[in-house]
Amino acid sequence: MGLLALGTALDWPDAKLRADQVRKWGIEQLLAIWGRAKGKERDVLLWGDEVEYLVVAVDEEAKKARLSLAQAEILKSLAKDEALWNSGTSPVSQNKEHDGEAPPHFVPEFGRFMLEATPGRPWGIHFKDLLKVESNMKWRREIAKTHMAPNEYPITLTTFPRLGTKGDYIQPYYPPSGPALRSQFVPDEIANPHIRFPTLAGNIRSRRGRKVELNVPVFKDKNTPQPFKDPTVNYDLHQWPEDDDVRNGAAKDDHVYMDAMAFGMGSCCLQITFQAKNITEGRTLYDQLSPLGPILLALTAATPIYKGFMVDTDVRWNQIGNAVDDRTREELGELPLKNDRWRIPKSRYASNSTYISQDPRLRKEYLDPDLVVDEDIKKRLIEGGMDDLLATHFAHLFIRDPLVIFSEDLEELDLNKADHFENLQSTNWQHMRFKPPPPGTSDIGWRVEFRSMEIQMTDFENAAFSIFIVLVTRAILSFDLNFYIPIQRTTENMETAHARNAVLDRKFYFRKDPFSRIPRRQQRQTPNGTRAPSAASSSGSSTPPPLGPVESEYGLMSIADIINGAEDGSFPGLIPLVESYLNSVNVDVETRCFLARYLDLIRRRANGTLWTGAKWIREFVASHPAYKHDSVVSDEICYDLVKAVDEMSVKEGKNGSVGWELLRGRK
Amino acid sequence: MKLILSTSNIMTVGGPSVIRPVTTAKSNVELINSLRSNFQASQQPTADPTDRRPAAAWTHQGPDALYIPALDPSSPGLAEERAEYDITVKLFYLPGIPASRRCAHTREAIDLVLKELRVDSIDLLIVSFPGILFDAEDDSDEEEDTRSSDNGSEEPDDFDSMIQTWRALEALQEKGMIAQLGVAEFGSDRLARFLPHTRVKPSVDQINLKDCCVVPKSLILYARQEKIQLLTHNDCNDILPVGTTRELLGPAGAGILASTSNAKDGIEGDVEPQWVVKYTAVVKDRGVVENKGYFALADMGSCVKPRE
Repeated sequence: MGLLALGTALDWPDAKLRADQVRKWGIEQLLAIWGRAKGKERDVLLWGDEVEYLVVAVDEEAKKARLSLAQAEILKSLAKDEALWNSGTSPVSQNKEHDGEAPPHFVPEFGRFMLEATPGRPWGIHFKDLLKVESNMKWRREIAKTHMAPNEYPITLTTFPRLGTKGDYIQPYYPPSGPALRSQFVPDEIANPHIRFPTLAGNIRSRRGRKVELNVPVFKDKNTPQPFKDPTVNYDLHQWPEDDDVRNGAAKDDHVYMDAMAFGMGSCCLQITFQAKNITEGRTLYDQLSPLGPILLALTAATPIYKGFMVDTDVRWNQIGNAVDDRTREELGELPLKNDRWRIPKSRYASNSTYISQDPRLRKEYLDPDLVVDEDIKKRLIEGGMDDLLATHFAHLFIRDPLVIFSEDLEELDLNKADHFENLQSTNWQHMRFKPPPPGTSDIGWRVEFRSMEIQMTDFENAAFSIFIVLVTRAILSFDLNFYIPIQRTTENMETAHARNAVLDRKFYFRKDPFSRIPRRQQRQTPNGTRAPSAASSSGSSTPPPLGPVESEYGLMSIADIINGAEDGSFPGLIPLVESYLNSVNVDVETRCFLARYLDLIRRRANGTLWTGAKWIREFVASHPAYKHDSVVSDEICYDLVKAVDEMSVKEGKNGSVGWELLRGRK
Repeated sequence: MKLILSTSNIMTVGGPSVIRPVTTAKSNVELINSLRSNFQASQQPTADPTDRRPAAAWTHQGPDALYIPALDPSSPGLAEERAEYDITVKLFYLPGIPASRRCAHTREAIDLVLKELRVDSIDLLIVSFPGILFDAEDDSDEEEDTRSSDNGSEEPDDFDSMIQTWRALEALQEKGMIAQLGVAEFGSDRLARFLPHTRVKPSVDQINLKDCCVVPKSLILYARQEKIQLLTHNDCNDILPVGTTRELLGPAGAGILASTSNAKDGIEGDVEPQWVVKYTAVVKDRGVVENKGYFALADMGSCVKPRE
């Protein structure tokens, strides 16, 4: 998450008044970018991963693990080092293993207990680069650790198991119920103090007209009370008007209830961004990666605990969606539309709803028939020269209000900036993001971000999933793969991915035949690179076979079949596709062995030989001597879990050490 | 008569055929399936199974060879400029074919690839000699001299003939047609024996994928010392057996050859595959395989040359 310049942030009623202006200016900035960059060509493949960490302070004496709010100090210390490094005067011993690699880059995140780290320079496709990813991730973790207190650790759990519990789960301690979040569970100090963040949280709450509401079904163990009424909810608070929420039924039976942005945006993710060769390839990748989002979400599942309770879901996604859901009751469909413009079916943080590629294989039937778009904005974009599909995409993103507006930015429209455009673009947190080149640079192209994956506990896993997705994109482009399904099926898949053990127990809609049925023999590349039917084709006829009904193109498949291929040969599988790609390029022995380890991890996660992080955490809690089979994850269990996760990040399950079930499959 | 079989660009035409079934470790499935599907696509251009074109309509009889299928004269070549690509060619000299023919075979194969991709040079030519099996277990190359072919007889691919072949490759390299040369399945002993005889050293030694994680240390060290890159592959040793060729082209396949050498249901005579070449064009900075395919050449009928 990049930080915007400081300024005077407008509170909600004022921000709302300026929303139209920000949208209009944002669209003009987008059109300016479009005009400058739509012809950008031949950008190389560059990609980057983002790893997010929780900073956890371990108290050996009290046997407690707490979230540390030391983000600012850690970042300051990291930044000082990075500056020294860049000036070549770093006193820090520069690990020889990382000779020639730029020092990693650390940035703040929403949670004041979080860090985000990216490689110092983006990766290329050269296989030597792929070999560096894992060691670079480990290096990042080491560097982060050296800037923390001796008892603090960078932990890659998606969520802290006891965030928002009654005790002192943060250090230093602050009492809950501050003016920005108005949460009865977490203090305002939980969020990054940069004005952007409290404003974001406060304006989401104000716009919505009440606090955000997260109800996660509790995992019912044999001693869990029936019905389960979240015992941590306080019904007698009277500090803020929003304290009425729970008295109005915000907390549901049999659910763990949470009421603040921090419960969602305080989650750690693994995100990958690719630079495409040009806008056409970017649009292709955006569309083709979209159906993979829910599959990779289920495969990376790592989130079975919230607020001290085992829950019945395995992933973080919907919690984040609910944590930033700024929709009003009218937009949600709970009240008739009076003041608002639309019913909006999804949160700003949700699976994506558009396909954008000008691809002859994209059938009308794949598009969302109920897509909400701002027709005026769409019209303006089309007038400005943008094609219908892409104009629809942005006019869909721009149905939202800007949440954080700095009054200084409203004085003059600067078409050489992207601030107003980014205001909306970067607060549409969909599982895919299509990113135009930033203005003012010539060396960054059109990019696509893949955002659904959960962070994994070890860097080996994080490298494996990052590299897997990179290789999948190469296979998509090389084989011209077609993963299109109606986009509403992807939305459904996203829900399916939440179920406990969805990776093995559920089936997902997926396209049966990923190969293009129009053989290239019947297509000819015209000089400008677009495909056109060839009259001179030696194979004669160029009439494509008639398309069958859309429903016949996809079916419900297990993740094992999608990843490894169906045994009956009906689906080739993503790993065999990637291997076939690797067999078509020159890969040196060392790299291929490295890649084999990564592909093997993913293959065995998909077929159940290896556990997901979610399953491992569940088993860890269930077999802990202090666990009473009442769904409660106590301080003691949390402490041991954090210690185990830290050990795992170092030993990686080797020789029967902790975590072998999800990393190696045997002791 | 020569038969020139081709797959066209299998990255898209091949579709499912390029994906190995999960169960087979290494095989020539890719070559066989992509040949078969290219024949089918050319023979039967529409989905209608009765719409089967006669051989003359989809093959091309050139002055020196029968092209199966006919090569597309409007083939566009590569989409971007030549410098954007890494073009790798792997030439399989087949078992039982005299080494004396390799010089001509190499030219033939390279010419077809250059024409298909519309380029005038390739970046890497890897040659695969028959009968060499890389054995990672004890790091000694075994020569499988006893493998039998359908013709019954089999000569060992002796060292001198490899050197002789290499001379021809060096000549092409020096002409600028090939930037780098490579070998396949060489262990460190064989490399050490081979190198002193070369003017142009191999830059690459390609070894089978199955063994890649147990590569002998001696080979890794030797390759590093000699600046030879160890690459992996997944190709089959005997990539195009005689029987398979007849099956592909016979009445049950393309319908060009007779079912046996003296049957009357197609072109008569013996069929003898001479070489197979695989080519790939990869966009360097993006890692995208844009074009990949095979050519295979077989001698047919009365033209099958006598063994020396």
